[in-house]
Amino acid sequence: MNMHLSNLKLHLKLAARNVRRQPNRTIALGGAVAFSALVMTLISGFVSGMDMAIQDNVTLYSGGHILISGYTPSWSGRLQNRFIDDEIAKTVESAVTDIRTISPLAQARATIVFGTREIQLTLRGIDWTKDELYHDSLLLSSGDWKTLNEQDRSMLMSSQTADRFGLSIGDQVVVRLTTASGQQNVTDYAVSAIYDDAASGGMTTAFVSFGNLIADLNMKPNEQQQIAIFLKDSTNAERAAKAIAEALTEKGYSIASGTSGSEQATQRRMNSGKVVYSISTVQELAGEIGSALGSIRWIGYAVFILMLLVSATGIANSYQMVLLERTKEIGMLRCIGFKKKDVFASFISEGILLAGAAAIAGILCALPIGLGISFIPFDPHGDFGAALVKGHLRFVPTLGQLLIILVFIMIVAVVAVFIPARKAAEVVPVEALRITA
Amino acid sequence: MLRFYEKKTKYFPSKSIRDISLVILGLVLVLCAQAQGSPPPGGPKGGGGPMAGIGLPLGFLEEDKNYKFPDDITKYTAKDFLMLVRRTDIRSSFYNSDMSATITTVNVSPTRGTFVTKEQIFRRDKDDAFLMLTLEPESRKGQGMLRVDNNMWRYDPTSRRFTHTTLKDTYQDTTVTNNDFRRWQRSIDYSVEKLSTGTLGNYKVIIGELKASNDEVPFPYIKMYIETDRKIVLKVEEYSLSMKLLRTAYYTQYVQIGDSFVPTVQIFQDGLVPEKRSQVTYTNISTKPLPDYYFTKEYLERVSQ
Repeated sequence: MNMHLSNLKLHLKLAARNVRRQPNRTIALGGAVAFSALVMTLISGFVSGMDMAIQDNVTLYSGGHILISGYTPSWSGRLQNRFIDDEIAKTVESAVTDIRTISPLAQARATIVFGTREIQLTLRGIDWTKDELYHDSLLLSSGDWKTLNEQDRSMLMSSQTADRFGLSIGDQVVVRLTTASGQQNVTDYAVSAIYDDAASGGMTTAFVSFGNLIADLNMKPNEQQQIAIFLKDSTNAERAAKAIAEALTEKGYSIASGTSGSEQATQRRMNSGKVVYSISTVQELAGEIGSALGSIRWIGYAVFILMLLVSATGIANSYQMVLLERTKEIGMLRCIGFKKKDVFASFISEGILLAGAAAIAGILCALPIGLGISFIPFDPHGDFGAALVKGHLRFVPTLGQLLIILVFIMIVAVVAVFIPARKAAEVVPVEALRITA
Repeated sequence: MLRFYEKKTKYFPSKSIRDISLVILGLVLVLCAQAQGSPPPGGPKGGGGPMAGIGLPLGFLEEDKNYKFPDDITKYTAKDFLMLVRRTDIRSSFYNSDMSATITTVNVSPTRGTFVTKEQIFRRDKDDAFLMLTLEPESRKGQGMLRVDNNMWRYDPTSRRFTHTTLKDTYQDTTVTNNDFRRWQRSIDYSVEKLSTGTLGNYKVIIGELKASNDEVPFPYIKMYIETDRKIVLKVEEYSLSMKLLRTAYYTQYVQIGDSFVPTVQIFQDGLVPEKRSQVTYTNISTKPLPDYYFTKEYLERVSQ
């Protein structure tokens, strides 16, 4: 054991000395490897940050980490997004333990009209007395929560919509929407508060009280469209949704499985005659919105692989040269008692040391660069608005990702050095000394 | 033993079996007829549900022919007015033939300015089916809309995708709705609430305030202005559930084609943004029979390329 340790120490010492022998070459080779590590750290850090930002923003868009929607068949057989059932909330409470809030939701695509201008946006009905999500997440640029809670027919509007209309607190807007059964309805609301949409991923949804929207949708006071479940930890959403689906199925509720809209629609048609429920999680919804991230991730992987290939070629070529340079030295080492495996190990150690050090340097350089980029403001209403937090990219590299980058680079280094190292180990001492004499 | 068995067993007379069978058959027929004829729970009142297939109540086309309307417009009852609406429904549609036409729409919007669209429409009113293809503007050329079997799709040739749409949706963000391209069937969807008389320009009109007969009709209330002499609709106001005026439709020109009176110029004015309006003009109207494959997704996909 001690002998193995002393051997390892010797190989590392020799490797460290050899790395320092040709500083220019080491810097060039290490620089290439470090750059690969830097790029991969930045890509993985930003993609993770965008993933998290999308999940946070989707939670705001959808109103909860888990959504249960109910569809009731009408007299004509059409499915309407409405249901009456107090038992569902109780079943959910008993099936999942880490729930922060359960609240009813209603929403509609509405046309907001002010003067001659009109805009289409999502109007969401929130039970302000039970809400924690929006109170915690939305930053009000004007108005206050108290007025929203207390004043009848009051609206919380995004700053973008308010700016576009030239609206300020107290202004009346006309809202045109379609009721749950498909009829046209027109109502009035007063703008009571405006939230900073740049701080909410560019969200332009307008919010009103649940009771008001239910009335506008021509639904009964005890009816609802969705139940929004807000968990203490959003990462548990998938597991919790599964538990809820099992508990509801056990109680005889009809749950539409399948995540795609068409699958659910088919099942709803097949189940006509009874209320059908569908359960969606923030991860599913974020997956749909964040599908663009998939391509970024794959571009990142492609760049990383390309860089690794270039680095591996560079490392392999460099160590071929190293082998030529050190043939005499290897011959002498073999003459004074170095075994083949010692020569092989010293080459491999040198490769690992060089690549490892370069990868760590690259990762360390990436951290301040990533943090710096995260201070650059981007347009929250642009294509990647949903992946931004308060108009900024979030840089969140995880320890696991960094370790994977490090290990991957070291494995590539071992593979690249393997052939030169084996050739070095096969050097015949007498021949080496004769040729290089 | 055999004799004893024959003595004990009482066979049911075959005549009674036949009678009972007839009674059961009669009961089944009555129940079936009731099931078809009675309104669904919560659905339209005062009549049977729409017949499957063409979506018209039984006798919708036949009853109209011999109806005697009062000569004095002040004498119109709710039933008379509904029959008048039915006549306008039937006469504005083509139940005995197919119909194709070119539709030019001039849209005026305070935010988008003035823009023109041109579409080719193919209608088969007896099946409540239509196919519409955009001809202009160039950027939207090839886009289409198909209604068949109570389903409605919009087709985009760029993405080659069909998306579901509904009759109540507005057409390309204008004041025109998808429903405006379909056959009229107000007499099925509405019941009469109030009647009055008045004048519209130089025409004497009877004004009917109608309420939707079920909660799935897009406009819950409408007010119709019908000229009784020619029995044509001149103006329709459409109201929301909260009784706010949503849209006013003016039918300013009619053309007679066979038994049909087609409103060839229709003006739609938005009730909430009065500056927003559209004028729809029908030209090149033809009643030649159309092939069945016109009303299929495959044809729309093919013709849009």
